[in-house]
Amino acid sequence: MVQYQEQLDRTFAALSDPTRRGILERLGRGRATISELAEPFGISLTGLKKHVRVLEDADLVRSEKTGRTRWCSLGPQDLAEVQRWIVGYRLMLDERLDRLGELLERTQGEKA
Amino acid sequence: MTPQQTQTHVTAEGDREIVTERVFDAPRERVFQAFVDPELIPQWWGRRADRTTVDKMDVREGGEWRFVTDGPDGKTAFRGVYRAVQPPERLEQTFEWEGMPGHIVVETATFEDLGGRTKVTTRSLFHTTEERDGMLSSGMEIGLSESYERLEELLAASQRA
Repeated sequence: MVQYQEQLDRTFAALSDPTRRGILERLGRGRATISELAEPFGISLTGLKKHVRVLEDADLVRSEKTGRTRWCSLGPQDLAEVQRWIVGYRLMLDERLDRLGELLERTQGEKA
Repeated sequence: MTPQQTQTHVTAEGDREIVTERVFDAPRERVFQAFVDPELIPQWWGRRADRTTVDKMDVREGGEWRFVTDGPDGKTAFRGVYRAVQPPERLEQTFEWEGMPGHIVVETATFEDLGGRTKVTTRSLFHTTEERDGMLSSGMEIGLSESYERLEELLAASQRA
């Protein structure tokens, strides 16, 4: 139970950062290299590697080196069901709020 | 990742709480309305890839809600109960995914008037199965043994005093 709780704490800590959530969202569409991941966020490779490390520690991401390239993909499939549920919830929450902003913009000027 | 038109702050408060803050360029009444209007919900609630339909939406304290989503991962549903409805300032509800029943998130949204714009703060508190049992008072034994433990601690402490 303690181990499980620690796992959840790491999950929450890993998800508390928008860049790391962006990385998860991107990897949900397929594996990517470190530089491919860094590009949309406009941060250094070193900075991105730190984020990947946090995600790896939480078992949310895994990476492997092929030649000189490090490939990242979503973490182990045996990831606790609850952990996957929390990750899914977190990503869904962000998308909801994005879409709410778009709706409000679209309907600007209309009555409340 | 799509660029944000508004700034988002995210903090993790406590062990199992997710807090987001976001400013919308719309008056508070309109933002609150989007949360409680069954005709607006399908236009923003849920993932972009899914189509959301409102099955049940009884916006009052104790009233139930249920939204069905249909998309690439198939059809699923979310449900909960409204716990506090205070237009246009605050909305509190429980959130449960039917794919993982029993894992309850308590969601609180507060709406702050910034003069034409609105700051929305959402708090999502995840409950463990044990807490859920306590909440639904179906875990009488756990609750009881905890009470006994506390009683023992209290007695031990008073003995030392």
